[in-house]
Amino acid sequence: MALSPPTLPDAHRSASPGLALGDGKPQINPEAAAALESYNTRDTVKIIVRFKAVGNAPIMRQNFYKITASNRFQTVIHFLRKELGWKAGEPLFTYINLAFSPAPDDTVSNLFKSFQTDGHLIVNYSTTAAWG
Amino acid sequence: MASTFSTPASTALFRRLTWEGTVPLEIRVDPNQLPANSDRGLECYYVQAPRVSYLPLLVPEIKRFLLDVVFDVAAAKTIKEEEWWFETDDQVLMKWHWSIGLLYDYHTVTTSMKSAKRPEGQQFPLRLILHLAAPPTDKLLIAPSIEACKQAFMGQLKEADFLRWGNTKRMTGLRGAEQDGIWEGIKDHNFEEYWKIASKITPTTTPARPNSPPPASVSMHSRPSSTDQSGAPDKDGAYNVRSVPIRIYLPNGPVLQDLAPPSLESGTLNTLGKFLSTLLPLLFPANQRALACPLIQGVVCPLDAEIAWLGACMAGADGWVNVMIGIL
Repeated sequence: MALSPPTLPDAHRSASPGLALGDGKPQINPEAAAALESYNTRDTVKIIVRFKAVGNAPIMRQNFYKITASNRFQTVIHFLRKELGWKAGEPLFTYINLAFSPAPDDTVSNLFKSFQTDGHLIVNYSTTAAWG
Repeated sequence: MASTFSTPASTALFRRLTWEGTVPLEIRVDPNQLPANSDRGLECYYVQAPRVSYLPLLVPEIKRFLLDVVFDVAAAKTIKEEEWWFETDDQVLMKWHWSIGLLYDYHTVTTSMKSAKRPEGQQFPLRLILHLAAPPTDKLLIAPSIEACKQAFMGQLKEADFLRWGNTKRMTGLRGAEQDGIWEGIKDHNFEEYWKIASKITPTTTPARPNSPPPASVSMHSRPSSTDQSGAPDKDGAYNVRSVPIRIYLPNGPVLQDLAPPSLESGTLNTLGKFLSTLLPLLFPANQRALACPLIQGVVCPLDAEIAWLGACMAGADGWVNVMIGIL
């Protein structure tokens, strides 16, 4: 199937690309729209997360879990609380690779791609702020 | 961004430009939540806010305005700013830990997908609704306090540090007062205050830069030395990091993060175009016309910009280069 070349933005319009050009109707290049659609599909790949206790935090019987890549870190924290049987008020601090605490909306997928070791994502947990 | 731009003077210039960037906000109190006897018609606050600042840092001045102009004495007693939250006209929740510049830019690319009528070169205010009660705490993710925002900010700095070097020695090497000092620079919106300490943890570009092979293996002795007195290879430089802290924001879509090495295996420098071709090949096909364009700090970024340079000069105050993807 032959694809028609995308419309060349003219000199004036190139100052603000990213804005659909036209006569008041949204005109997104269908190829681009399809691309966005595919990138928006939720990543269902499972990432292996390895929980490691720090300090006095209790060690769980099971430390390796498969968590869906598109989940946010917030979900991992909730999951950990549930596994530990801890209520919302009890202090729980989580870190990646003993180094930093991710933003709650960092995804497991992104954290894995950036920080994985030996094919899994290490999440340290503790009852006190350590590397805050 | 050719090598002529990689001088200390130009680095400082771009950092200053980034720091001084502001965006217009129009903040309107939810009319259903205005206390009785409020001065209606005045409940809108306009501010040209720094891109590197955060909504929790704006709350005190908004509160002062409402107390002075809108609320009466009785209402003033009922103000609980810990219950305040912001959303856009189309119900997009404003997260406390996203910088104001990031919130604005994400809104720009997302809404540009929906409407077509936008005159060139004008910056439209981000219209926000301020709710005074019933915050959706689950979705806001962190507490509304300045302290929680500071912790999130410091966390982002550490994540960036770790991504660059595989350790956080530079961050943990800062004294407590210095770590606090970075945040104070944000609160006071003071460039010197912020960079006095940030320069210890943010890699910078070197005065003269080799093209190939990778910088680490080139002798630096042939360079004219200017600020670098030691003559030692710039192992702490922007081109020697493991990965540049960079995030890609798709309109109405996920935020993408992946390893972004400053140089490729072939020895050539990694550019934004090459990085986007790897990450989003459908939108940035290699050797073909792109279907989208990248915006950083609200301006279009050339695809041949070196990502190491972007990391040193165009990052937000939390160390991250945020790239919005706008559809052409």
